[in-house]
Amino acid sequence: MPTLFFLHALGASAQEWDAVVARLRDRYDCVALDMPGFGDAADAGYVDVAAAVAWFTREVRARRPDRWLIVGHSMGGKIATLVAAQAREGVAGLSGLAGVVLVAASPPAPEPMDEDRRRQMLGWFADGPASEAQARTFVAANVAADLPPAMEARAVADVRRSHRQAWLGWLERGSREDWSEEAGRLPIPALILAGGEDGDLGEEAQRRWNLPHYPNGRIAVVADAAHLLPYEQPERLADLIAAHAEHALASALPAAFLNLLGSARVSAQTRRLLLERHAGPAADARTLLTDRQVEILKLLIAHVLPDAADPADLARRIDVALASGEGDGWRYADLPPDASGWTMALDLLDQHGFADQAAAAREDLLRSIAEGADTVGVRLAPWTCRQWQHWFADARGEIVRQWMALPRTMARIGYDGFAVGGDDQRKQGYVRTGADDPEPWQLSARRPA
Amino acid sequence: MTPPLYQPSDNVDAVIVGSGAGGAPLAARLAQAGLSVVVLEAGDRFLPDEHVADEVAADLYWLEERLSGGADPTAFGANNSGMGVGGSTLHWGAFCPRPDARDLSLRTMMGVGDDWPIAFDELIAYVEQVERFIGVSGPAHYPWDAARRYPLPPVSRNAPADAMARGCAALGLTATDAPAALVSRDWQQPHWGQRQACVNCGTCHQGCRNAAKTSMDTTWLPLAIAHGAEVRDRSRVIDIERDRAGRVDGVVYRRDGQDVRQRCGALFLCAGGVETPRLLLNLDLANSSGQVGRHFMAHVATQVWGRFDADMRMNRGYPSSLISEDMMRPADAGCAGGYLIQSLGVLPVTLATNLTRGAGLWGERLVGMIDDYHRLAGIGINGECLPDERNRLTLSDEIDAFGLRKARIDFSYGENERAVDAHARRTLTAIWEAAGARDILALDRSAHTIGTCRMGRDGDHAVVDADGRSFDVPNLYICDNSIFPSALAANPALTIMALSLRCAAQFLNSRTRGE
Repeated sequence: MPTLFFLHALGASAQEWDAVVARLRDRYDCVALDMPGFGDAADAGYVDVAAAVAWFTREVRARRPDRWLIVGHSMGGKIATLVAAQAREGVAGLSGLAGVVLVAASPPAPEPMDEDRRRQMLGWFADGPASEAQARTFVAANVAADLPPAMEARAVADVRRSHRQAWLGWLERGSREDWSEEAGRLPIPALILAGGEDGDLGEEAQRRWNLPHYPNGRIAVVADAAHLLPYEQPERLADLIAAHAEHALASALPAAFLNLLGSARVSAQTRRLLLERHAGPAADARTLLTDRQVEILKLLIAHVLPDAADPADLARRIDVALASGEGDGWRYADLPPDASGWTMALDLLDQHGFADQAAAAREDLLRSIAEGADTVGVRLAPWTCRQWQHWFADARGEIVRQWMALPRTMARIGYDGFAVGGDDQRKQGYVRTGADDPEPWQLSARRPA
Repeated sequence: MTPPLYQPSDNVDAVIVGSGAGGAPLAARLAQAGLSVVVLEAGDRFLPDEHVADEVAADLYWLEERLSGGADPTAFGANNSGMGVGGSTLHWGAFCPRPDARDLSLRTMMGVGDDWPIAFDELIAYVEQVERFIGVSGPAHYPWDAARRYPLPPVSRNAPADAMARGCAALGLTATDAPAALVSRDWQQPHWGQRQACVNCGTCHQGCRNAAKTSMDTTWLPLAIAHGAEVRDRSRVIDIERDRAGRVDGVVYRRDGQDVRQRCGALFLCAGGVETPRLLLNLDLANSSGQVGRHFMAHVATQVWGRFDADMRMNRGYPSSLISEDMMRPADAGCAGGYLIQSLGVLPVTLATNLTRGAGLWGERLVGMIDDYHRLAGIGINGECLPDERNRLTLSDEIDAFGLRKARIDFSYGENERAVDAHARRTLTAIWEAAGARDILALDRSAHTIGTCRMGRDGDHAVVDADGRSFDVPNLYICDNSIFPSALAANPALTIMALSLRCAAQFLNSRTRGE
């Protein structure tokens, strides 16, 4: 069962998620945590942003989840984003992070906060815990409509039991610290939620401060809610989280592979690169091919790697690589430079009805091209059969290279050759090298079909 | 690695272009003799720890575009030239056979190819120096050379090696642990430190993370630096300046967008079989013979693959841990020279792209092979390629990022190479059948960039003399695989390092003589 970690808002605790978790717990291992300084962990006092990230990283490691998501509310959202950044950097034990849900989240940048409001909130804890009335004011200011009394009482009690230093520390320092550079761009699937009636952290702020960090992020607005969404719209929130988790987990790597990737056998740099590759190009990455050319390429991929590759995903990767202009060190002298070679070839195939043919006819044509049949030069002029033969060899090479380099494909064949090295003084390779003698940590080979 | 020791205006004794197998031993010897030495390297410097165990992410390769033509276009990129302090030794396979004496006298013995202008015994003395210094692991008894001793015991055989041993034994062929330029035991490298014993990780081509494998940055370059040489990374040579007498008096290189002119007393081009001739042709230098770029050679590097019933896991272990030299002069092949056989473990991306490019596999057959990756193993050759007038490097009309014309290499197998390839396919297939492989297939491949600035005794037919010295420009030297007059079946790096030591010794002698 995949794990969902929940990080609460300022002045709240794990219990703010109770109603959300109730709706998710039969599908996910739900772990709602009291952050240091709050709830049952109030004694910890103030823990700054860096220490909170380190604390959460330890919590994840201790539970060894295979595949997991973080849901971060308000203050917890800033920590969620920074933990996702740690995972991106290849920090050990975080490789299984499949997605992020931000709920009215504080951004990595200084949180946009009305200064009068900040002063008022600081004032409540200036000389000790907030009074009942002050805590009620805080809760009331952050909801679109009154909460049911029992729920409101819990919210108020949580505010009051917050550690004074934790409350002040977040408002004075944590919320003001600028971590945008460390957060950078996070390719992980992210759902960014805003309360329709929230103030400083509403939709506009989410779009401006959080979305730019998530090139594959999506914003959704929850109606009839302000800032305390887990209390205000728990069912709607749970359904949104579940839908996003399902979407994110669909593209996640298998658990055994992630466990190995997260282990000390893998260097942080290798882990970072493989996770980045798995995430794929950013939604706004520069491309070269037209939609039509991409369609032809997808058909081609389906013939080169039938039922093995995701043609749309692979076509996009090839497209982005072509646009970047990075080559593999050589090309056939009789072909134009890579980018124009690909566009010309795809256009010519299209003009000759490649897309309209039956799959068997396409297969025949490709076979003729591969064999260098004379007829190809006539059918697919102006290129000669030799040029077509070269281009198809190049195209196959690139399709196969991009596909085989994917962590998903490594997982498919049980390849574990990336897990040799680690970052310790002594590098870990293989102790056993003979046939039929796998080491216990190795991935299983694919069973013969 | 080194703080700047010399100013561009200093007239240093030697500038060496390229920090690979051709440039690094030379840099060490010249520095040890007290000369002021600057090494210019186009790529970045790495610590062993910074290499990544991933085929696509590793950034040690010369990936600037080359154009490949001819009937058998050879692939460049990841399999050939390197980029980075250490050159292609950063990613080489470290398969380290010695050159065969007969290969240096091919013309005398077989009437084809060319003889080397260097005596075998002289060359092999340098080879032995290299082996002792870099730490080569190999068998206690080398079946084809009873006198040979290696400084370290062999690395573990892997599953493809065991399969090849089995197949060879069944056919009555001799095979043994391959000489490998890596340390099978922890090894103290002078002026660098501990090189840890090989851990069988299988990622030699992605850069060795514990310095077990020999690369120039962990062996010869630290020796050079300890004796005062300066290594400048990210420094791309774009021009060579000469004085009125036609002698080189400086090189111009670009670093971080700035052009720097370094004065020098002698220039050594050690940029490899493509970049060395490309630079000379671009600058129209040292080519009165018309031989620059001619006689490009690539080894015949045919591979045979098959499926085994066992769980082979061929990415484990040193990839080429078994060798046979039995086919160095095959009786029935119809070729001059011969080939070395090695077992092969290849990582998935390289295997998959080779299968689709070299064996023409795609569709279900390709996917089926890749899905069975852990049951596959290969066997391959490195075979003699004869120099041929028609195989040459010329300049394309396309310009690179530095304003220099790109290289175009036309390469076609001749009768000799086709004969080597055909014989190897038969032999390797027989070995693999005897080893128990199924679904056996062969793939076409050629490897290494050799020739293009051949050495010889006569300036009408060669670019440099036996010492690597240009016949046209007296203080210009070339020391890399471009000066090989014939390919030799052995993988080139060990011979390049030996030539590099010899070039240094000859240069120092000529200085002593006041030339």
